[in-house]
Amino acid sequence: MRSLDLLLLLFLIIAAFGVVRTKDLLGASIIFSAYSLIMAIIWQRLSAPDIALTEAAVGAGVTTILFLITIGRTVRREDE
Amino acid sequence: MKRILTFFILFLLWLLMVSAVLALPPIGSETTPVTTHVIPRYLEQGVEEAGAENIVTCVILNYRGYDTMGEVTVIFCALIAVLAVVGREDPKLHTSKVDLVGIKESVIVKSVVRFLAPFIMLFAVYIMLHGKESPGGGFQAGAILGASIIIYTMTFSYELALSKFFVKVRTLMEGAGPIAFFACGVVALFYNQNFLTYIIPGLDPVTQTAMRSLMIEIIEVGIGIGGGTVISSIFLAMEKVEK
Repeated sequence: MRSLDLLLLLFLIIAAFGVVRTKDLLGASIIFSAYSLIMAIIWQRLSAPDIALTEAAVGAGVTTILFLITIGRTVRREDE
Repeated sequence: MKRILTFFILFLLWLLMVSAVLALPPIGSETTPVTTHVIPRYLEQGVEEAGAENIVTCVILNYRGYDTMGEVTVIFCALIAVLAVVGREDPKLHTSKVDLVGIKESVIVKSVVRFLAPFIMLFAVYIMLHGKESPGGGFQAGAILGASIIIYTMTFSYELALSKFFVKVRTLMEGAGPIAFFACGVVALFYNQNFLTYIIPGLDPVTQTAMRSLMIEIIEVGIGIGGGTVISSIFLAMEKVEK
């Protein structure tokens, strides 16, 4: 199971870099949701099911939706 | 020159942090105060002192009650901030962007959500009421409840959701978390005990533990209902568009 943990941590770091490096906000928030999902699995592996539940519901679900709504309500302005 | 200076300062900061981490005792060390005093106390007397079989719930709601109460208040303040900026929705005046675009919903998504949404809500209630014995509790239940309402609103229409989750009812329930917490915490003050200890002197130990369990249950239900309505209200207020 140690290799699974290492794989999850690797994915976590890749997802974190992806969130920072992605220019497109929509893509970035979806990658952020994937990051939260990986983090929830890692919390479960660390035997903290309470935090895993919170991370899965708030991090992967509610936060992503709120980000998407905010992106939809704002205007893109790149060249200034 | 500036780059080298930045690199140098960052390197110093890195050295400082690494030395701080290296100075920490190893994880699970038997000689730190945490393992010699705190953990045995929680594990041996947690059920009796805090009134919940799940030690995490004991810590969250009893030993570290102030912290959780602050968090509950912060969530409520987030709702107030959103409502101050965006304003509350009105069923007669507002609709959502998803409804305005007019893309037809897929039948598969609709029937899956119609089938799953009640079970998600049931799961939230289960977590809320079982927070004392098993993982979970008020916060998690509130988040799942809010997420189920969000799914419902996104798949079916905004107006249908508003006709099910009335603004007036939600307004009454939004403050449930802080109110339940404060009301249960303040009981001990009347008997010259500390805030949030849930102690009522003069009772025999069994009744005392039962009273604590009851108060923790009330707080869990309050946080669950309050959190769920706060999340759904933030979502519905942000989602609204003028008709």
